Amino acid sequence: MISNIIPGLIMILTSFLLPTIPQYFRHPAMLLSVGLSALSLFNGYGTFLEWDVLGLNLILYQSDSLTFPFSIIFHIAAVLVIIFSWHSKNLMEHMATLAYAGSAIGALHAGDFFSLFIWWEATALTSVFIVFAGNTKAARDAAMRYLIIQVSSGVLLLIGACLLLYQTGNHNLTVLDLTTDFGIFIFIAFGIKAAFPFLNGWLQDSYPESSVTGTVALSAFTTKLAIYALARTFPGTDSLIWIGAIMTAFPVFFAVIENDLRRVLSFSLNNQLGFMVVGIGIGTELSLNGTVAHAFVHIIYKALLFMSMGAVLYRAGTTKASELGGLYKYMPFTTIFCIIGAMSISAFPLFSGFVAKSLIMSSLGGMGMVLIYFVLFFASAGVLEHSGIKIPYFAFFAHERKSKVKEAPINMLIAMGIAAVLCIGIGVFPKYLYQILPYTVEYQPYTIDHVISQLQLLVFAIIAFLFLVKFKLYPSEIRSTVLNSDWFYRKMLPGIGKPLFKKIGLLTELIYENLRFFFRLILNKSQKFSNSSYIKVTTPSFAATILISILFIMLLIVLI
Amino acid sequence: MKKNDLKSMGKSFTKYILIIGALLILLDFTFHRHEYFSFAEIYGFPAFFGFISFVFIVLLGKWLRKFLMRKEDYYDQ
Repeated sequence: MISNIIPGLIMILTSFLLPTIPQYFRHPAMLLSVGLSALSLFNGYGTFLEWDVLGLNLILYQSDSLTFPFSIIFHIAAVLVIIFSWHSKNLMEHMATLAYAGSAIGALHAGDFFSLFIWWEATALTSVFIVFAGNTKAARDAAMRYLIIQVSSGVLLLIGACLLLYQTGNHNLTVLDLTTDFGIFIFIAFGIKAAFPFLNGWLQDSYPESSVTGTVALSAFTTKLAIYALARTFPGTDSLIWIGAIMTAFPVFFAVIENDLRRVLSFSLNNQLGFMVVGIGIGTELSLNGTVAHAFVHIIYKALLFMSMGAVLYRAGTTKASELGGLYKYMPFTTIFCIIGAMSISAFPLFSGFVAKSLIMSSLGGMGMVLIYFVLFFASAGVLEHSGIKIPYFAFFAHERKSKVKEAPINMLIAMGIAAVLCIGIGVFPKYLYQILPYTVEYQPYTIDHVISQLQLLVFAIIAFLFLVKFKLYPSEIRSTVLNSDWFYRKMLPGIGKPLFKKIGLLTELIYENLRFFFRLILNKSQKFSNSSYIKVTTPSFAATILISILFIMLLIVLI
Repeated sequence: MKKNDLKSMGKSFTKYILIIGALLILLDFTFHRHEYFSFAEIYGFPAFFGFISFVFIVLLGKWLRKFLMRKEDYYDQ
């Protein structure tokens, strides 16, 4: 019986029941629903639930070797978020978070494009409430922009799905290419959620505006769902290699100068997605394994980093680098957890990032793609810069802090602790991660060549940092806004649109003005005419004159 | 707590990192490091690449401030 229930659905149903559950039991109930949903992981592979509706056969629940690892990590992420938000009493955010995680898990198990579309929009509609729950004017504005972009992605997906059905008679999730119009629509729909270059503005716009706990939830699901969808539909699409390579490289420059550390992490998220997209573009078993492995470990260490910055925001009231520093004395555990997250994302040997990123780098190297290989190698130095050094350095060190703050609440420390243990555990015992990957590939990440090469890169990048700080070349933190691709619709379009509409407004006003003048003239004339002495005898009133003139005009129009 | 905590921490961190860096370079001379591309097998190539990339990223990022940086309330205006 339970094997036919769509994974994640029980979490959505529980989220609707949350208001009826006393505050004290809400988090246990949320955890229980995730646990029940996770039972689906034991179902094995196959199609478990289909629904014939309006002549369409919707595959609502299927699972295979690609959905499996994503489903595991989405459940783990949901657990981490729930524990991290245990102290919070924000009901709306809890409901949204649980429903959002449930929708993302449901989306993984959709077997056709229409079912995927439903879940795709469900993740948008649930997650927007998480941004809303940031509860500032900036958060509410960002939420509206976020909603428009996310729903647009869904609409493009629906158009693609309809075209696919119309042209091929098939709507199941299959491998597509970019030579078809439906392929292009679906590609862009996925590309928006995967934050492709120039479609990425929503990510850095909305995530940092969410609450302490909200950003952690947001960081896990939407973008990785898009990675899953791309891996399922567009493996081996060459253009993804270039798109991915650009995605790894360009956010690193933005991250260097961004002041808000949660926004730095959002740029970093974008850069990490680039590595996964490159893996999909290569499309070999090794590289697709690399993409899945990277998504898996990335969700954990990115959540860990966002949690540590959430804890900083909760205790110190800001994540602006220009206002922080010296927190290591007051938040030692958070500092250690943050450094573990930073070392994982930077791919230090024995940490989870290393064993995942190696798969993608090896597949690039194996295929002789020298340029892309070194773009990614370069981007690895960039990851170290913004996530490995900048985040922990400016939050916890940089300079002494004058005012005291408390260590993070115990529930936050537990959530960060679990994530940290997973980061190191996967890094030390990668075979357990490799076992759940879609393809069986023998791979050994810990070769002496590879370890030394990676350590040289990282250690000398750190030395470069120390050198730049020593000679005062490292840019100081300044309170500022860094322009990003959301500038196009936040400044440029209103910049063109507002004066344009103003001019159109002026023009219509001018036309109205003239029309008004013209009618007044007619009125005056007819009034004068009806009042004149010789017509008074035969014409009863001014109204009749008006009526007659209207009839006359109508007759004229008809005749013409 | 002493006031120069961070400074002394920074100093000892720098010292250890430099020692590790030197060891890594020395290690490179003890065995042949296999890479996918032959030019990457030059002694200390990853170290050099890491150092240069990092400096390039930071300095280019700093330069980009000229074009990309606006006041904090830029979007509220």
